[in-house]
Amino acid sequence: MSKNTTAADSEVDQELPPGTTPAFARMHKWLKRFIIVCLFGLVIEGAFTVPVLAVWYGAPTLSLTEICDEFMKVRWNDEKAECKYPHPIDGPPFGGPGEGTGRTTAKTEWGVQPKSNLDRIGFRELVRNKEEREAREKAKAQAGAK
Amino acid sequence: MAFTDKTGGSGRVMTNPTSGGLSYDQHEEDSKIAQRQADKWLITGTAFMGTLVFGFIGLPIFLRGLYLQRKATQDGMSVRPIMVTLIGYLVILDAFINSIGWGLDLMANHSLLNRVFFTAWGNYADNGYFWEYNSLFIGGTSAPGEKGWEIACIFVVFPMRIAAGIAFLQMKRWGHQWLIVTCWMGVVIWVGYVVNITMYADIRFDGTILPVVGWWAFDIFYITPFLAIPYLHTVNREIFAD
Repeated sequence: MSKNTTAADSEVDQELPPGTTPAFARMHKWLKRFIIVCLFGLVIEGAFTVPVLAVWYGAPTLSLTEICDEFMKVRWNDEKAECKYPHPIDGPPFGGPGEGTGRTTAKTEWGVQPKSNLDRIGFRELVRNKEEREAREKAKAQAGAK
Repeated sequence: MAFTDKTGGSGRVMTNPTSGGLSYDQHEEDSKIAQRQADKWLITGTAFMGTLVFGFIGLPIFLRGLYLQRKATQDGMSVRPIMVTLIGYLVILDAFINSIGWGLDLMANHSLLNRVFFTAWGNYADNGYFWEYNSLFIGGTSAPGEKGWEIACIFVVFPMRIAAGIAFLQMKRWGHQWLIVTCWMGVVIWVGYVVNITMYADIRFDGTILPVVGWWAFDIFYITPFLAIPYLHTVNREIFAD
């Protein structure tokens, strides 16, 4: 630490943590405060992110596999797209084509500046998507049976 | 370790003022025990917080460690300054949390947990982690440029930063120096990353729940390495040992 010559300076110095000189004491104090805010911020968002996302996308009405399945249908804009679970160990990326290979249904506009054209997924919209699709399939099956 | 004596002043370093003039060795031993005790709580807390989801368990444990650290300082022990403790553990935590997310995307991109939660996070704030997901031969995000950042950070910057953070917590000179290096690398990462996602905003933010604002609201808490930079450049380097 810097050697202070005057008595007043040593008094100030003694109140400061090691490594902090009087010139930077205020800056270090504010940095400490911001760092503590970041610590609490990380923990709070970390604790809430997973449950909030799960509820937004349909849990517990939908299981994780069903959420994955609905994501596939939105991603590829294809009601026949499915989430394979358990994923085969010899499947991609270790073997076989990637999931997008051969798919032509996605809304993506390809080019130097590609656009996804994805629609925003609303609160528990995946649950409604599934229910509506199942109702349609049921009605179709009934119409076919008649 | 080269811990400094908070009480300062010449002639006072060799004794512990609160224990009636014990020998230097005894003071060193007491300080080591106090530091180790605080570190046990701080390490356990950081490990829990590093998992993200169990952070609420880790935070009180970490705060208990901080309390012990502060108490040891007030008792006149030669322990690490609080600011060094906070910065050291937080940059390690920052590197761990980032590595978990990107590590999953790079190496476990077909697992159900990743396909649900990571792509859900993507759909919330960054569709780079939702759009055409698992289409590249390596799997994971298909966003242009993203894999480059992942690999550079997971295999170069974060391990370097964690190593530097550990040495910094041990009050070693190289820990201080390398933390400066890796925190400045963090500035390069942030600037490059933000420019990249902005260039491909039609993919990254179109159709997300909270575009741009949501991304910043989530990611702003990862700026600890930035906050460390002014401290690292203004702290008295003599407190770190060669």
